[in-house]
Amino acid sequence: MISGSNLEQVLISGRFAVTGELGPPQNGNFDVVRDKARILKGHVDAVNITDCQTAIVRMSSLTAGLIALAEGVEPVMQMTCRDRNRIGIQSDILGASALGIKNLLCLTGDHQKFGNHPQSKGVFDMDSIQLLDMVKTMRDGKKFQCGDEIKSHEPRFFLGAAANPFADPFEYRPLRVAKKVKAGASFIQTQIIYNVEKFARFMDIVRDLGLHEKVYILAGVTPPKSVGMARYMKKFVPGLDVTDEVIDRLKGAKDPKEEGINICVDIIKQVREIAGVAGVHIMAIEWEQAVPEIVSLAGLSPRPAPRRVDPRLRSSEAIDLIVSKAKEEAKAEIEKTLEQAKAEAQASRDLVLKEKGKITSEVSNLKRQLEEANAIADRKEAEIGRLMKELKETRDGRVHVRSVRRSVSDDADSALSSCSSRALTSLRSGLEALRKGLGINEDQLEALKRLFEVELLLSSDTAEQVTATFDEAPVPVERREKPEADSRHKEVVNLVAKGNVLLHKNDAAGAVDAFERALAIEPEDQKAGEGLKKAKEALEYTVSLEEAEAPAVPEGIPPCPEGMSPEEWQRKWVIRLVAIGNVQLYKGDVDKALKSFKLALELKPDDEKAKAGLLKAESGEAAGVPVPAEPDAPQKAEVPSSPVPKIAKVPEEVKTEAKREVPVTTVPTVIEGLTVFELPKETGTLSEREGSIQENLFKESCTGAIREISLGEGERAIRLGGASTLPFHLFEGDMPHVPQIAFGILDSEPEDWPDVLSKYYSDVFSDPVAWAKKCIDHYGAKAICLSLVSTDPNGMNRPSSEAAKKAQAVIEGIDVPVVLWGCGNAEKDTETLREVTGLIGNRKVCIGPLSDANYRSLGATAMAFHLPVVASSPIDVNLAKQLNILLENLGLSLDQILMDPSIGAIGYGIEYSYSVMERIRLAALTQQDEKLQVPFICNLGREVWKTKECRLPSDAHMGDQEHRGVLMEAITASTLLLAGGELMVMMHPKAVALTEALIKGMV
Amino acid sequence: MIIAEQKPLDEIMEMISGVEKLLVLGCRGCVAVCSAGGDKEVGVLASALRLGRKKAGKPIEIDEETYVRQCDPEYLEPLKEDGKKYDAVLSMACGVGVNFIADRCPGVNVLPALNTTFYGANLSSGEWAEMCAGCGACILHLTGGLCPVARCAKSLSNGPCGGSVGGRCEINKDVPCIWHQICDKLTSRKQDQLLREIVPIRDWRPSGHGGPRRRIREDLLP
Repeated sequence: MISGSNLEQVLISGRFAVTGELGPPQNGNFDVVRDKARILKGHVDAVNITDCQTAIVRMSSLTAGLIALAEGVEPVMQMTCRDRNRIGIQSDILGASALGIKNLLCLTGDHQKFGNHPQSKGVFDMDSIQLLDMVKTMRDGKKFQCGDEIKSHEPRFFLGAAANPFADPFEYRPLRVAKKVKAGASFIQTQIIYNVEKFARFMDIVRDLGLHEKVYILAGVTPPKSVGMARYMKKFVPGLDVTDEVIDRLKGAKDPKEEGINICVDIIKQVREIAGVAGVHIMAIEWEQAVPEIVSLAGLSPRPAPRRVDPRLRSSEAIDLIVSKAKEEAKAEIEKTLEQAKAEAQASRDLVLKEKGKITSEVSNLKRQLEEANAIADRKEAEIGRLMKELKETRDGRVHVRSVRRSVSDDADSALSSCSSRALTSLRSGLEALRKGLGINEDQLEALKRLFEVELLLSSDTAEQVTATFDEAPVPVERREKPEADSRHKEVVNLVAKGNVLLHKNDAAGAVDAFERALAIEPEDQKAGEGLKKAKEALEYTVSLEEAEAPAVPEGIPPCPEGMSPEEWQRKWVIRLVAIGNVQLYKGDVDKALKSFKLALELKPDDEKAKAGLLKAESGEAAGVPVPAEPDAPQKAEVPSSPVPKIAKVPEEVKTEAKREVPVTTVPTVIEGLTVFELPKETGTLSEREGSIQENLFKESCTGAIREISLGEGERAIRLGGASTLPFHLFEGDMPHVPQIAFGILDSEPEDWPDVLSKYYSDVFSDPVAWAKKCIDHYGAKAICLSLVSTDPNGMNRPSSEAAKKAQAVIEGIDVPVVLWGCGNAEKDTETLREVTGLIGNRKVCIGPLSDANYRSLGATAMAFHLPVVASSPIDVNLAKQLNILLENLGLSLDQILMDPSIGAIGYGIEYSYSVMERIRLAALTQQDEKLQVPFICNLGREVWKTKECRLPSDAHMGDQEHRGVLMEAITASTLLLAGGELMVMMHPKAVALTEALIKGMV
Repeated sequence: MIIAEQKPLDEIMEMISGVEKLLVLGCRGCVAVCSAGGDKEVGVLASALRLGRKKAGKPIEIDEETYVRQCDPEYLEPLKEDGKKYDAVLSMACGVGVNFIADRCPGVNVLPALNTTFYGANLSSGEWAEMCAGCGACILHLTGGLCPVARCAKSLSNGPCGGSVGGRCEINKDVPCIWHQICDKLTSRKQDQLLREIVPIRDWRPSGHGGPRRRIREDLLP
């Protein structure tokens, strides 16, 4: 037995259970609930008390449940998650348990949108399943939701839940029942059933899952009151399946109400036949009167006599009843006493009357004697005095009569008082019993007493005595004997609590004191003993900590702010000190930095960051904060072993390093004012750098590879391409040949170059051979791209033969690879380039650009001389691919082709270039698009140096013109390198140096 | 993205009733993307306010400006001084922007032009829907990537309630039942075991019920 509720007992006994439903009123009317409960009483085993159903404000289910319970009707209290959070719900559950409620139905609750307060904030701190779990844990685990222990009187409820076989997804519904059972439901009440066939299918699955053996399922039914109600439910109540048959039956009926009852009875009979249905839940909404009839017609009456339905609290009416009964008893007794007293009084009165008669007759006797005497005295005046004396004696006799009367009435009064005090004593002990039973406190008892006093005052005139009797009556008080023990115990508890608080506040010494004091009073107290142990440990710990911290404190660690432990504060302070140190170091304030780091190390001697900072500060070096793209940045010392990026190097160093790594035969001269950054090489291995991230999470190997192409001949030939990974993704694949830079030169004096560029070449403008040589000798060029701009028909329009000769001179004058770049006019280029190839014999130069207009003729030339070509297409993946296909169809090998995707400078469409190149490269590497597995050539220098930004003079706003141009060219190049470019054609020597440094740092 | 919508014009007019010089300040962040407070909306609102005030016989001087963002201190720098030249700054950023201006620009009277509504996605042009509640304790791996905290009317954790019919929510037929979708998705992925397990009661502290939230990355702190 879980809670021992009547419903639980009926279900365990195996009888088909019947539950009803009682909707509390939308007001504070006690009678409504009581009357509904009286209608249902004896016809159902328990009654659901709804919790503000459809989100309309009603009397609370707890309150209405108690009223029903007081009427002897067992409530199933409903509890929803809509209106209360876990604090409120648990609190109500404790209250319900205290007052004798034993069944609880756990629901999520209708959304507030449906009710009369759609503006309210829905709580939904948990859902019905979590609610079941919580109440089960309170019951079986004796724990609140937070995990705190419920020390005694844990709430014990027979738990129920709802199920709707008609909601979607249908297949999920039985699984949800299983979840509710797992969470703690012992019984299930279903949504209203009209579609019995669907319910039967639901029960099939329920049985398949074996749930009918773990939970009692009560089928929900409702008698429809009218066709209108049935239609409304069909249309507007979500998850309610009202069949057409039901509507038709109601439509055709003479008395729809009677038919509604019949429908309900029929459904009950049908669901009773379904295996696993343990009972029925009749929801006669605002029609409780129908329930007795339905239960009887369905053959479910009489219900077993309710067991253990005993309210802890009674309604005020029930209390009234008991009180009035006691009052009547008291009154009867008093009346009896009164009657007796009256009779006695009457008897005394009779006695008085008798005496009076006696006296009267005596008086008349005397009168007669007087008359006789008068007759004699008429003549005997002397006898008058004697007669007067006799008259006086008669008067004395009357006084005696009065005193008798008084004594009689005194006797009657005392008899009355003794009787009524007996009655009151019995009343008082009755009340005392009542007080214990109901838990009425002293004040309330006092009030009741006063009530009786008044009643008695009204019914008799012995008020004073009644009051006196009550006042004298000893009221039994149990806890009279042990005040002393109590106060001692209290003090111990107080001290232990104080000790715990102090301990919590880290005042271990104070705590030890408190616990010791507690033990002095009560040496056996366990809690104090434990507390003392803990406090002593804490004290030792604190002392050791203080010793450890001692030197740091005078150095000025600020007081620990509230809400933070001292350790945590210290840790934060160290971080702050290190940060301050780094900032000061960066600012060049070495002294202050030193101080910061030292302070930090004092607080935390093994802090690595602080150590590193101190080391740097001591060597007077700047902290490693990279300041990229600032050619004139002040020269700073380098920290060779430091893992942080290295800074600016002077050109000489660039030069010497280049010399060491590349076997150049000529020595480039220093470029004046050129400052080049060197990117730090990544020193750690991949496995070191990846840390906790698994390799397969970021590594993505490519399946394709870029073809390799050779430019030039002999020792100085360069090879491009070959990559089997995205640019510089060296952790994923190989990049056998680093990208190269060719110096772009012209075959005639440039017309529109800005000074900042032309100043490097103005001495050789007139002679392309000298120009090419200067690039190689002074600036370390590894390839030359000669643009035959002079041949442009729209410009100088130099004859092809003349231009070819100049080109020949250049090609033969240098030993680095050469790219010959036409003027862009397809016809003229065909003519010029053919001319050149005729002149140079076996020298391998790369010719271009080949476009869709001249690829046939130039392609044939290239084929004939085995020359590499530049295939140039407008910026588009498909056009680039198309041109490659055309060239291949022509008979050219893809190994001879460099792709020029048509690029733009930064600020002039570089995003577009990047995106197209990236897509080409992804297609080549990951989708095996063979026609695109070709290296890129990017003729970017000419694009950059014709932009407006490179021509605007130096000013405060735009900065130095040369820096600006150099950076634009270098940034454009670096972007294109990242997009996959293999050969960059550039112009400014500084930009080339920067880009080379970048490449070197990346591979 | 944070979704917001403009307050009713009357409410804004009422808000600026005593203002004679106003700056309408847009934001190019989320509110620009959801067409509530970007350059274009700044222009439209400013014009509407000018017209409205002119019609009411109380012409107003309005400047328009749109910042890259109103939720990063560097972008608010110019407003610290410029903002004081106006009787009020009507921010068309989300509530974050308005708060941040109020925090960072003392002396600037900032007013909200938008109601900040939710974190959502753009379903189609002109239509946005809530997708995340910022609850601070993501469980999307258990629910097929669909969020019951944001997208279930009752924020249920353990499956659809009894009001789910035909894949629709009980509160409104236009609202899909997200739990129905979660059931379908997990079932089709053969992850329906997840639907049978009881999801324990939530800790709502990360959701803001533990007080205003703050995120700190110690390594990035100055």
